[in-house]
Amino acid sequence: MREALLTAKGVVKNSPGTQEPVLDHIDLAIYTGDFTVIMGPSGAGKSTLLYALSGMDAISSGQIFFKERELRSFSEKKMAALRASEFGFVFQQTCLVSNLTLFENVAVAGYLEKDQSEKEVRQRAESLLARMHVEKAKDRLPSQTSGGEAQRAAMARAMINQPGLLFADEPTGALNRKNSEEVLDLLTSLNREGQSILMVTHDVKAAIRGTRILYLEDGKILDEIALPPFDAQTAKDREGKVNAWLTALSW
Amino acid sequence: MAYRSILVKEAGLFMEIKTLLKANLKSHRGTALGICILILLVSLSLGTVLTVWNNSIRYVNSEMDRLHYGDITAWVSGLPDATPLAEEIAALESVDSVGVQSLIFSEYEIGAQESDSEGQLITYDPQRYSYKFFADGLSGYRDAPAQIQPGEIYVPASMVSMFGIQSGDSIIFPIARSGRDMTFTVAGFYEDPFMGSTMIGMKGFLICEQDHEKIAEVIEAAGLDGLAREGFMLHITQSGELTAAQLNALLNGSTSLQSYTEFTHSKDAISGFMLTLQNVFTSLLLAFVAILLLASVAVLSHSIGSTIGQDTVNMGIMKTIGFTGNRLRRIQLLQYLLLTLFGMAAGMLLSIPVSSVVCRMTVTTTGLLIPSVLPAGVCLSVLAAILLLFMAFVWLRTRKIARISPMEAIRKRRSQTEKRVVAPVRKRGLSFWLALRQLLTGKRRYVGACLVAMLLVFFASLMGRVDDWLGPNGEGLMDAFNPADLHIAAQPMGETGMEDVEQTIEGYTVITDAYDLAMPSVSVNGVDMTANVITQPERFHLLSGQTCREADEVVLTEFVAADLGVSVGDTVTVAGALGGGEYVVSGIYQCANDMGMNIGMNREGYNRIGEDSPTMWCTHYFLADPSLQPEIMQALSDTYGGDVYLHENSWPGLYGILSAMRMLMVFLYTMVFLFVLVATLLTAEKCLRAERKDLTIYCALGFSFGRLRRSFALRFGIIALFGSILGTILSAFLTDPLTAVLMRLEGISNFSSHPGIITILLPGMVVTVLFLLFAYLCAGKIRKVPRTSLFEE
Repeated sequence: MREALLTAKGVVKNSPGTQEPVLDHIDLAIYTGDFTVIMGPSGAGKSTLLYALSGMDAISSGQIFFKERELRSFSEKKMAALRASEFGFVFQQTCLVSNLTLFENVAVAGYLEKDQSEKEVRQRAESLLARMHVEKAKDRLPSQTSGGEAQRAAMARAMINQPGLLFADEPTGALNRKNSEEVLDLLTSLNREGQSILMVTHDVKAAIRGTRILYLEDGKILDEIALPPFDAQTAKDREGKVNAWLTALSW
Repeated sequence: MAYRSILVKEAGLFMEIKTLLKANLKSHRGTALGICILILLVSLSLGTVLTVWNNSIRYVNSEMDRLHYGDITAWVSGLPDATPLAEEIAALESVDSVGVQSLIFSEYEIGAQESDSEGQLITYDPQRYSYKFFADGLSGYRDAPAQIQPGEIYVPASMVSMFGIQSGDSIIFPIARSGRDMTFTVAGFYEDPFMGSTMIGMKGFLICEQDHEKIAEVIEAAGLDGLAREGFMLHITQSGELTAAQLNALLNGSTSLQSYTEFTHSKDAISGFMLTLQNVFTSLLLAFVAILLLASVAVLSHSIGSTIGQDTVNMGIMKTIGFTGNRLRRIQLLQYLLLTLFGMAAGMLLSIPVSSVVCRMTVTTTGLLIPSVLPAGVCLSVLAAILLLFMAFVWLRTRKIARISPMEAIRKRRSQTEKRVVAPVRKRGLSFWLALRQLLTGKRRYVGACLVAMLLVFFASLMGRVDDWLGPNGEGLMDAFNPADLHIAAQPMGETGMEDVEQTIEGYTVITDAYDLAMPSVSVNGVDMTANVITQPERFHLLSGQTCREADEVVLTEFVAADLGVSVGDTVTVAGALGGGEYVVSGIYQCANDMGMNIGMNREGYNRIGEDSPTMWCTHYFLADPSLQPEIMQALSDTYGGDVYLHENSWPGLYGILSAMRMLMVFLYTMVFLFVLVATLLTAEKCLRAERKDLTIYCALGFSFGRLRRSFALRFGIIALFGSILGTILSAFLTDPLTAVLMRLEGISNFSSHPGIITILLPGMVVTVLFLLFAYLCAGKIRKVPRTSLFEE
């Protein structure tokens, strides 16, 4: 039996203004080793669900568990520690700290991990940046790099503390096709190595990288589909299968 | 029609300005409020200081004129009736009138406290000298009594702070030996614009004519045993345009005045004595207001810069719909004009009640109830000048708006060049390194806070150094006023031998050294002044040249030298009761007595022109254990009572200065507190707004709220520390020259601060801690930054 990393039970999130539900009684489990993708039209509540599951955003009712513990029982400090050690984030916009170099952006996240020495963090940051093919730009500030470089650095940063779960919110949303492919390849490769990923996207080409796709509409999960691990050779068939599934869901 | 279209156009323009102004003020209401508060604080301080300063000068002079005190007042004694002398003086062509007030010079005792200077029992004559009398509580006046009852006495209000006296207390005047004292009951307080300030040792008391006659009879009957003596004040008004020194020289040369003169003071000198405290402290306060003004400009500058930074996109949009750069600048100018005007108006209005409170609070130190009416002309002129400067500054500071390119602004492609930063980010002390990085990359945001810290620390440090110089008991000031150092001084008033006094002192501690000092009146080049005659001239506080060791040498203060136009090596004519003689100026020394109008000479030198009487000498002792001084003073007082005049390195007026200094320090640190609060709030608000995204990223990375808050506060701590170091260095270099200018006005020419380590470090520490604390409190808002701001559905 697979281990559930995150479990949502009856999660409701109301819009702060209108009090209309953005998430409507969501029941969901995110498993170790999965590359879970949440799809859905704009305004479906995809990102809201992602941030609710990561504890970045408060929910109106229901429960979310990380492994065995409910997120609401975590103090602010413990929640921060959880984000530092167990969660990694990659955002749609390049969310790097503007006055830190790419290398520093990665290393700073690593410095929060108490068990690692500064030297170990720096070595790991160097190797992650090399793996993400941005070692040449590592000493540049985010404003001096391309969107692709910055997003790959953001992925390196998300991976610095070897998180249990990587949250990716439309990671290719602001990238061109070439950079998007590179980022998706990296995510796929990380997942192959056992990294659990939860990604939000509305792009089918990105979604087919997942092993499990959930369809969200009007704050409810309408359906899900399971896929074998991604293989570039079968990408076309995989895309067709997902498109057919989405069409059946009136996508 | 054309007129109508202009009207419509004007109305449209007004509406668009009104709309934009409202929008600007709404979106930057924190900034607007902060700037308003700063201007309010500056205006409030300025209005209060100007009121006290302007009104006190005017009031003292107008009161002296109202009471017909004339251009020069001579205190004379040794003549039974002053009328012939007054007529002799009035007969001079340059003299317009001479007023005479009868008085009795006498020491006095209030409770266990003995007077430091002689008191003057003035006969109350309401027809000629209509003094004002204070109501109970000293917050207003009551009707002047038609006459004073026998046994009653009215005293200056400053005696409340000097001696803690109250209505109903007794004052004892030792009129003659063998206990022939006169005891009066304090009936109330009167306003003495002549000697009423705590800064003046001699004090005037109002008594009735019957008591005056009674005392005169005791003096006459006592003969050589008399301790008090009769005298007069001659208020001389000139008809011409002579200077006080010229008039004084004329009176001494053409009449017999000099034979009877105890001392003479011009109206300007008396006014100077009366206003010493106000002048020193209002000067310091005005300097502080100037510092606050500069600090406000620093905050304003930062505010304008960051507002433009935040509103660049909006301004780009405004330009695309037809607004010109200059029109946008005019709106900004109008916005700051309104804020400044509002702050100024509120500050000025508040300064009316505050001035009233300050004027009432200072009655017991100044002796005057200074009118608290706002000097509208002076205040408006100063505020108009400040407003003009502010607006010119705003206009210059907003010139960047003209350079905003509409499309670049909308695309948010600002032409800012990111600079590489060399400071590392380390794991150990991560919060500090991140704070430092924020500071180094966002320098401009913190320049205002740094300047505010620097300016406030500079002034607080300057004041701390002055306070340190003053000492906890005013020793610094006393050293500046005294011609030479001392621990205890004793002067025989009768037949008590100094051997007995010394024996009493040595019962407590060893006398390590002693010298004699007398302070007779002399004239130097025809001008009356006090001579400090000393038996050990090497004890004078010498500033330059050599001390007066020979019988034909004198030392002068810098002020006398400047007044007479002489320097070391020149010759002056000094005249005393036995004649005059030529003396060489051997050196310049420090003694602020009589606002520096005195000279120093040795005993042999004085004997050439004056009479050496045993009772004129006051022996100054140095003790092996100075801490026993209070006990020794008490023992001497108990043993010898009125037969020995005792004093120490202090005088009652000193406490007025010390309490004013304490009040000033409280005011200063209150202002520092408020300014740091507002400056931190303004800067922190802008920083939090600008760093919203970065803060959310840090949050997502796992930075706790506490760590982010500490790191945010640390930046302000670092910048305030930097500013504080600059301010401390600045004060180390500038305190002495700047304060010396002020002290010179009061006759102190050798101001030099030697602060302790606490005095040096305290202001910087206070300001740094305040910045740190307020920034930490402001950083509580980080919790409110929505963590979901990084995503859009």
